[in-house]
Amino acid sequence: MAELEVKQKRLNGRGLFWTWSPRSEKEAGESIVRNLLLHWFPAKVTLKSLSWGYSLWLGTITAALFLILGITGVILMFLYVPSVERAYQSIKDIEYVVSFGWFIRAMHRNAAHLMVASAFLHMVRVFLTGAYKNGIGVGQNRPLNWIVGVVLLLITLLLSFTGYLLPWDQLAFWAITVGTNIAKSAPLVGEWIRFILLGGHEIEQNALIRFYVLHCFFLPSAVLILFSYHMWRIRKDGGLACVDNLVLSQKKEKVKDGIKSKTYSLLGLTTGRTVQVEATLLDEEKYTVNSVPFLIRRIGLVMLGTFIFVALISLFINAPLEEPANPNVTPNPAKAPWYFLWLQELVAITTIRIGGFVLNGAFIGGILIPGVLVLLLAIWPYFDKSSNLNTGVWFGKERIRQNIVFLVLCFFVILLIIIGTYMRGPNWEFYFPWEPWPEIPKKF
Amino acid sequence: MKLNRRNFLKTIGIGSLLVGLVGQLYTWIRSLFPNVSYESVRRVKLDEPDKIPDGVTFIDDIKAYIFREGKTFYAISAVCTHLGCTVKYVGLSKPKIVKIGGKEVEVKWEFHCPCHGSKFYGDGTNYAGPAPRPLDWVKVEISPEDGKLVLDLNKTVPQNYKLTV
Ligand code: HEM
Ligand code: FES
Repeated sequence: MAELEVKQKRLNGRGLFWTWSPRSEKEAGESIVRNLLLHWFPAKVTLKSLSWGYSLWLGTITAALFLILGITGVILMFLYVPSVERAYQSIKDIEYVVSFGWFIRAMHRNAAHLMVASAFLHMVRVFLTGAYKNGIGVGQNRPLNWIVGVVLLLITLLLSFTGYLLPWDQLAFWAITVGTNIAKSAPLVGEWIRFILLGGHEIEQNALIRFYVLHCFFLPSAVLILFSYHMWRIRKDGGLACVDNLVLSQKKEKVKDGIKSKTYSLLGLTTGRTVQVEATLLDEEKYTVNSVPFLIRRIGLVMLGTFIFVALISLFINAPLEEPANPNVTPNPAKAPWYFLWLQELVAITTIRIGGFVLNGAFIGGILIPGVLVLLLAIWPYFDKSSNLNTGVWFGKERIRQNIVFLVLCFFVILLIIIGTYMRGPNWEFYFPWEPWPEIPKKF
Repeated sequence: MKLNRRNFLKTIGIGSLLVGLVGQLYTWIRSLFPNVSYESVRRVKLDEPDKIPDGVTFIDDIKAYIFREGKTFYAISAVCTHLGCTVKYVGLSKPKIVKIGGKEVEVKWEFHCPCHGSKFYGDGTNYAGPAPRPLDWVKVEISPEDGKLVLDLNKTVPQNYKLTV
């Protein structure tokens, strides 16, 4: 009898694809467990986690952008030559000779910029919803996942930065000059870090091949590994933080009749009350739906939307290519990539003189301030003492003050980026966007 | 822990595994520190002193400006002491008098850095922007072999180091 059913499944063409469109509750549950691509999702998902308004789906958008970067990046690897003599020419060929080369390059570039932005916004969302906080489940460790997130954000920045050098044009060369000289001003290890990063004292062939390998293999691998852990942690933490909030509000209603206690988790018998058991406190009928198709459909939609968006803007916004790198002529003004411009702005204004003693702004603005900020960011969950009623809700009542401080800091960073991008002219002097820049002699 | 045969072998086993691993790790990391540099030169030979043009000339290879005032030669590095951008020579339309280290000096040109706006007087002294110290002066010498002028970045010289031939 069972054999017959299997045969029937094959016959009507659902053999391979049935997991994507289950016909019964049972199939819906199995479709998650049986499918390699889906097995990391939960079988059921709360409506709140699915909503557009809670997570804004920024994490998924970031992942979609990373996927786009992976695909377009591999294609670019077939076309790009990481050598000082040929790098610029090969990018020029991609831009002007290779069929659709300009489009693939634009997609890669635009997705990279967007990924920096979306990872940042995702972090802002997580902060404002208090989603780095534990709720009620046993074995939750959302603060750790937040730290993983901070590392992912840093790697995303590094990915962008290493990619910036590869075209070997003026833009690339000088952005990397300024960037790596900031590393040099770190006390004690600075020189050493710059030397090993560049494979020498100057930005030449050694630096190019190092950045290339970091950009194409090392850093993407790191993102993949950490991203897997990021997702695994979300499962171990009992789903998104908003689920805890839901359970907590239900608990208040149910506590009178005593809490049901099962010891089955999804993976079998366990000791203690696990995350999954807590989740059974939920009124499943009312608050959850099957992941297939509801979660999968939404993820598909977000991915498709991201893809279309990037493709569309890439028709109009192309990746820039300036003159070939020339170590002797610094373009005026010379700017770092936009997401580092707040640092460049700090670096330009924080040289401190106390009597004869001078502290290089590169150290204060380029290392000290961002270092402290990132450290604070990473350990903030351990300072947040608000109750778990503030886990997974936008603008929790007890977190108003920290949310404001966080937003003000973000605002400053964004403000500095805007000033650096639109209001800095030759010699890094301040100009309003409507003010014309003075003519500057090209020759010295 | 009693050191019986089992524990002894286990310790040796894990120990050698660790030693092996650390050794491998060392080779990987050490290989990334270059032993030979194929970078561009840090020392250039120019022409005979009297073939160098009067005034200022930019020397591409080592990013420095060389100055000639009659029989006197000196060179100032064009690498900004802030974050390493190449500073531009800016001739002033009329010379100005400034105080450098307490002395009044007439400056006819300046150096401006395009990256974060540092400015230096003609002798390399920083007076505006984030640069923490003056531009480096570069060693100018006469090659003993053929009498040509040589600029050498490997040797440090104090500010106002000038060579008169
Ligand atoms: C490469 C970058 C990143 C990717 C691909 C990524 C991906 C994701 C995804 C898909 C989710 C599910 C919820 C959602 O879509 O919003 C998520 C949740 C989460 N992310 Fe990220 N993320 C990244 C960076 C970060 C950063 C920078 C942080 C914070 C510093 C962070 C912290 C978290 C936390 C704590 C959660 C759980 C949120 C909750 O329970 O509501 N992630 N991430
Ligand atoms: S590199 Fe010259 S002012 Fe920053």
